[in-house]
Amino acid sequence: MSYFSHSWLPYIYQYGLGALVFAIGLWITLRSGSFTPSLPRHRKWLVVLLLGFVWYLVLHGALTLAALGHERTALIGAVAVMAVSAVLSLVWTRRVRGGA
Amino acid sequence: MEQGLTTFHGIGTTTDWVVMVVYFIAIMLFGSYFGRYTKSTSDFFFGGRRFAWWLITMSIVATGVGSHSFVKYSAKGFEHGLSSSINYLNDWFLFPFFMFGWLPIIVYSKVRSIPEYFERRFSPTARFLATVLLLLYMIGYIGIGLLTLGKAMVPMLPKAFSLFGYHLPVTLMGVIIVIAVITGIYITFGGQTAVIFTDLLQGAILLFAGLFLFGLGLAYVGGIEAFWDLLPTAWKLPLPDFNKPPDFNFVGHFWQDGMAGTIGFLFLNQGLIMRFMACRSVDEGRKAATFNILLTMPLSAIVVGGAGWIGKAISVAQPDVIAPNTAPDQVFVVVANVIASPGVFGFVMAALVAALMSTVDTLINATAAIFINDVYRPIKQLLKVHLGTARQEDRKELFAARVASVGITVLGVLAVLPLDNFPTVYEAHGFFHSTLTPPLAVAVFLGVFWRRFTPAAVITTFVAGVALMILGARYPGLLIAPFDHGIVMDPDHPYSYIRALYNLVVCSGVAVLAVWTTSWQRRLAGRLRAAASGHRTAVGLGVVALLSFVVVAAALGPLAFQLLMSVVLIAAVPVVVTYQGRYDEEEHTLGLTSWSIGEAKRRFKGGEVNELGGEKVVVRWELVDGDEAQETVSFSAEDMETMEADVGDLVYLCDRRRWLGGLKSIHAVYGAPHDEPGVVHITRIQAEAGLFSKGRALVAEKEM
Repeated sequence: MSYFSHSWLPYIYQYGLGALVFAIGLWITLRSGSFTPSLPRHRKWLVVLLLGFVWYLVLHGALTLAALGHERTALIGAVAVMAVSAVLSLVWTRRVRGGA
Repeated sequence: MEQGLTTFHGIGTTTDWVVMVVYFIAIMLFGSYFGRYTKSTSDFFFGGRRFAWWLITMSIVATGVGSHSFVKYSAKGFEHGLSSSINYLNDWFLFPFFMFGWLPIIVYSKVRSIPEYFERRFSPTARFLATVLLLLYMIGYIGIGLLTLGKAMVPMLPKAFSLFGYHLPVTLMGVIIVIAVITGIYITFGGQTAVIFTDLLQGAILLFAGLFLFGLGLAYVGGIEAFWDLLPTAWKLPLPDFNKPPDFNFVGHFWQDGMAGTIGFLFLNQGLIMRFMACRSVDEGRKAATFNILLTMPLSAIVVGGAGWIGKAISVAQPDVIAPNTAPDQVFVVVANVIASPGVFGFVMAALVAALMSTVDTLINATAAIFINDVYRPIKQLLKVHLGTARQEDRKELFAARVASVGITVLGVLAVLPLDNFPTVYEAHGFFHSTLTPPLAVAVFLGVFWRRFTPAAVITTFVAGVALMILGARYPGLLIAPFDHGIVMDPDHPYSYIRALYNLVVCSGVAVLAVWTTSWQRRLAGRLRAAASGHRTAVGLGVVALLSFVVVAAALGPLAFQLLMSVVLIAAVPVVVTYQGRYDEEEHTLGLTSWSIGEAKRRFKGGEVNELGGEKVVVRWELVDGDEAQETVSFSAEDMETMEADVGDLVYLCDRRRWLGGLKSIHAVYGAPHDEPGVVHITRIQAEAGLFSKGRALVAEKEM
C-alpha cells in the first residue's frame, strides 16, 4: 500500500511552503532593520532560527522514515543532520565573529 | 451508548476524588498567596513587566497545553495516531515575524492591548472594530475552554448526586458553572501575578503528569517496541493524509492552524501577549518563546496526545479492555483509568483539569484587560470622569478589572450553549480559528510589516473581508471549493479547516486592493471635501455601504447580487473612511512597524539608546528620600562604569535569588552617581514596588 499522500506529500508541502514563509520572514525583518545580525546578540538568534527550522525538518522526516519501517536510518539520519547543522552554525558564527 | 459509541460515567475512586479536592485547594491557596503582589492594574494584567524567561515559558506551557486540551488531542490521537501532534509542531515558519517584528513592537510601544495597537497604528474606528472582533473571539474561546473542562469532568462523575434528600442530576452545564466559579475566584482576586505563578506550578505538574501517564501506558502495553509494533502504519505517521478525511486532513490544518492559527497564537492571543509583556525584556521574551516552541511544544504534543496513542495500541491488543469504538472525547479519561492506579488517576485528572483552568483563567484575565483598556478607559475619557489622584484612579480600575473578570466568566459560561452544538470540541475550536482569526490576522500582520497599510485598508478588510467570508460560509461549494486541494466537501460541516485559506485569501485580497487604490481614494475624498454637497454624498456612500453589508449578512437576494454588494463595499468603505479622517502616515507608523524598531526603542527609553555591552553588578540597597513619581536610582560612578551606563539610561534591579524569576524587581532610570561602590540608592516607593526584602542584595543590569 502506498502511503505517499499520507507521508512525503504533506511533508514536502509543509516544508516547501513553510520554508518560503520562513525565508520571507527573515528577508522582511532583515530588510526592515528590525533584525540586525551585525549585533552579536541578533547573530545568535539567527543561528537559533535556522537550527530551529532544521530541528523540525529533521523531526518530521525522521518520524516519517521510522513509520515507514526505516527506524535505524531515521535515527542515524536525524542525529547526523542535526550534528552537521550544529557544527556548520558554530563554524559560521565564529567566522562571522572573526570577520566583524 | 450514544451514537454507537461507548460512553462512561462514575469513573474513579474516592481516593481519586480526595486527591483532586486537595489539589484544587492547594492551587487556590497558591494563587491567592501571589495575589498579594498585585498592587496596581499593571500588576493585575502584566505582572509588572519583570519576570524571567523560564517562568514565563512554564506559564505558557500550562496555557498552551490547556487551550489545545488533553481531551480533543487524545481523541484525535486515538482516531488518527501520531498525526494528532500536527498543531503543536507547525509554529516555527512564522517565528521570524514574531521574534523580530511583533514582539519588540508590543514591548517598546507599551501598548496594553491589541486593539490599542490598532488605534495607534490606524484610527479609533479600527480599534473599535478590532475590539468587537477580539472580544467575540476571546469570549467564545473561554466558552470552548469551559466546555472542554465540563466534558473532561462528566465521565468521572456519577449520573446524579443525592444531597440532604435532594436528587441532583449531573449535567454538563451544572459542572461547567461550578468550575467557572472556582476558576473565577483566584483570577478575580489574584490577577496576572497569581495566574503566572499558578501556571508555573500547573505547567510543571502538567508536563510531569502527561509524560508519567505516557510512561505508564508504554509499560502497560509491554514497552516502547511493543507499542510501536502495535500501531498500524497510518497511526505512526506524524502528518495526516494530505486531503482526507474531511474532518482531519493535512492541508486544511496547515492553513487553519499552521498559518491562521499561528498568527492568532503569536500575534492576537491577548493572554499570550500579556505573558510576553510580563517578561522583563524583549530578549527574555524571545528566549521564552523559542524554548516554548522548540522544546516544550513537542513535549506537550506527547503529553496531550499520548493517552490517545496508548489507547489505540491497547484497543488493538486488548479490544475487551478499551473498545475500538470508545467515544473519542472520553478516551483520555478511560485510558488514564485503565493504566493508572487509584490516587494516581486522581492526580492525573487534577492535572488535566488544572491545565484547562490555566487556559480559561488566562483568557479571562486577558479579556478583562481588553475590556479595561478598550471599553472602560475610552468611555471614561469620553465622559471625562476623573475624580481622584492617579493612585485612586488606578484603584478604581483595579476594582473594575475584578468586576469585569466576573462578568466575562459569566459570558464565557453562556457562550458554551451555542458551542455545545458542534459535534466535537475539536471542530468548535477549528471553527473559531478558521472564521474569526483571518481578518484580525491579516490586519495585524500587514499593519506591522507594511507601512503603506492604511486605516481605510484595515477597515475595508474588517468589513468587506468579513462580508466575503460570510458568502464563503454560505456558498462553500462555489466559493471555497477552488481552494479545497481535493478535500471532499462534507455537507453537514463544509470545509471545516480549509476555509481558513479562503478567508485568508479574501481578507488579504481586499487589504491589498484597498492599499493599491489609496491614491484614488484620496483624490475622491478630496473632491468630496471640496464639493458643496460633498458631505451629503459621503454620508450617502456610508449608508450604501451599510445597506450592502446588511444585504450580504442577511442573504437578501441571489449570490450574484450579494457578490455585487461585496464589490460595492470594497469600493465605498475606503472612500468613506478616507473622507472621514485625515491620516498622517509618519505619525502612525513611526515606532509601530518593523521598519522603525529603532525609533520604538528610542521612544521607549525617552532618548538615545545605549547599546554598549556592560556587566551586571551586585549591590545592596539603601533608602533615600524621594517623591512618589521619582524614577531614578543612584549607583556609584564606579558601578556605572562597570555597567557602561550613563545618566538617563534604563536599569533593571532584581533580587539576587534567581529562583524568584524576577518577582522582586523594578525597572528604573540611572540618576546622578554617588561615591559609595556596591550601593544603590532607592526610594521607599521603589523598594515597595520591587517587593525588595531587607538585607537582600540586588543585581543591577543596564537595559538600554
